[in-house]
Amino acid sequence: MKPLEPVAPGTRVVLGVSFFILFFAVWAAATFGGFVSKTFLADPWTMIKSGYDLLANQGFIKDIGMTVWRVLGGFAIAAALAVPLGVLMGAYKPIEAFFEPFVSFARYLPASAFIPLLILWAGIGEAQKLSVIFIGSFFQLVLMIAVSVGNTRRDLVEAAYTLGAGDRGIVTRVLVPSSAPEIAETLRMVLGWAWTYVIVAELIGASSGIGHMITDSQALLATDQIIFGIIVIGLIGLASDFAFKAFNKKLFPWAQIGR
Amino acid sequence: MNILNVSKVSKTFAGANGGTLALQATDLTVAENDFITILGPSGCGKSTLLRMVAGLDTPTTGSITLDGKAVSGPGADRGMVFQSYTLFPWLTVLQNVCFGLREKGLPLAQQQEIAHAFLAKVGLKDFAHHFPKQLSGGMQQRTALARALANNPRILLMDEPFGALDHQTRELMQELLQGIWEAERKTVLFVTHDIDEAIFMGSRTVVMSARPGRIKCDLPVPIDHPRHYSVKTTPVFMDLKARLTEEIRIEVQRAAGLVAAA
Repeated sequence: MKPLEPVAPGTRVVLGVSFFILFFAVWAAATFGGFVSKTFLADPWTMIKSGYDLLANQGFIKDIGMTVWRVLGGFAIAAALAVPLGVLMGAYKPIEAFFEPFVSFARYLPASAFIPLLILWAGIGEAQKLSVIFIGSFFQLVLMIAVSVGNTRRDLVEAAYTLGAGDRGIVTRVLVPSSAPEIAETLRMVLGWAWTYVIVAELIGASSGIGHMITDSQALLATDQIIFGIIVIGLIGLASDFAFKAFNKKLFPWAQIGR
Repeated sequence: MNILNVSKVSKTFAGANGGTLALQATDLTVAENDFITILGPSGCGKSTLLRMVAGLDTPTTGSITLDGKAVSGPGADRGMVFQSYTLFPWLTVLQNVCFGLREKGLPLAQQQEIAHAFLAKVGLKDFAHHFPKQLSGGMQQRTALARALANNPRILLMDEPFGALDHQTRELMQELLQGIWEAERKTVLFVTHDIDEAIFMGSRTVVMSARPGRIKCDLPVPIDHPRHYSVKTTPVFMDLKARLTEEIRIEVQRAAGLVAAA
């Protein structure tokens, strides 16, 4: 091993997979070996069996669908508003000066702390779940996008001006395309956070969703089901992350050159 | 006929205790089809002067006119090639060259026809669909030159365009630009700190003093076109080089604080 030396693709996969194996091995050893009480931690096999039961007999797939829908819905609304606002803030300094202090403040407001308030305002329906995700992701997105756009290389902007671009052209033909890969990366990252918020929203006052199943299982001390739920969240997060990454790569081939 | 008129232009950069005077009141006229090289030590304000002509900086005093119209901001009539690599990395070479043409609203087919013609002139016909990062520095600057020329500006401004290139590539680029200029006779304002480059490229060479910059002398370059790289070893070239070396040397010493300011 040497600092910053790249690792071969095959080795990378092997190393990545082996940690998962190690993780399950330690878990299996702790539970099957009787070191941890079954009440507190189910063993991997029970987890898989009850996971199958959840999916096959208890309609858990519908809960998963609900949760995915909420994340995507809330996130899409947040992104649809945050991208234009972030671009405008990055491009026009007075707009940034107007919104930035408030947005910086708002992004430290914990989304989960809004849940009681949102239940009062929006009830325990879908609007409340979407709002939690919106609050959790919107302000973060706006700030990060504004920074990406604002960091556009000045010499590229100047070059565009000398080629006859107007202010509108600078925004649409220089600022936006040059920061687009970074904006896409920001969206990918914040989508990951949105997953945390949805579960929190579902733990409190929901009648469906992965988080709801987890609270129900807690009442039954069904740690096997709780763990299965958590792992499902992790797997969906991982899959969406991979898909997003692959999509970004395909969308911005130029940003990959020389990396 | 003079197309560019720089009249009593000075530039002071704001800062503590009154700011820094970068350029003293400067007059410069550029005739149509002139190739003027501006030679000076680092920090003498030569790039500042060029940027003000481009409209990227505003003069503190004085005025700049192009074809009698006051320069108040950047525009397509003054094309620019920068020292740094300023191709848009998300566009292919061809799309980069089309950038200004699209801004003008030309139909795509016409944009591409013009762009292909200029790419051929800079020898990059086969690289039209490459991204800038896939090209060498010299190729990127050739693309930047094609991009600026394709826009058909009244005057081409070049800010040490070959400054970041290695010596051999730079000489190649000088010949290429010389060839293009001889064919098109585009009016050019070319900033450099390389004396050989200033003489070889220019029909007139303007020498600037150390900061705060001012025009110290303005000499015609009595070498006929077409110029072959071998002119660099002729007596006329050598004499002019000796003279300019002397002029620049004292300014570099001043800039470095080795002798008192004039």
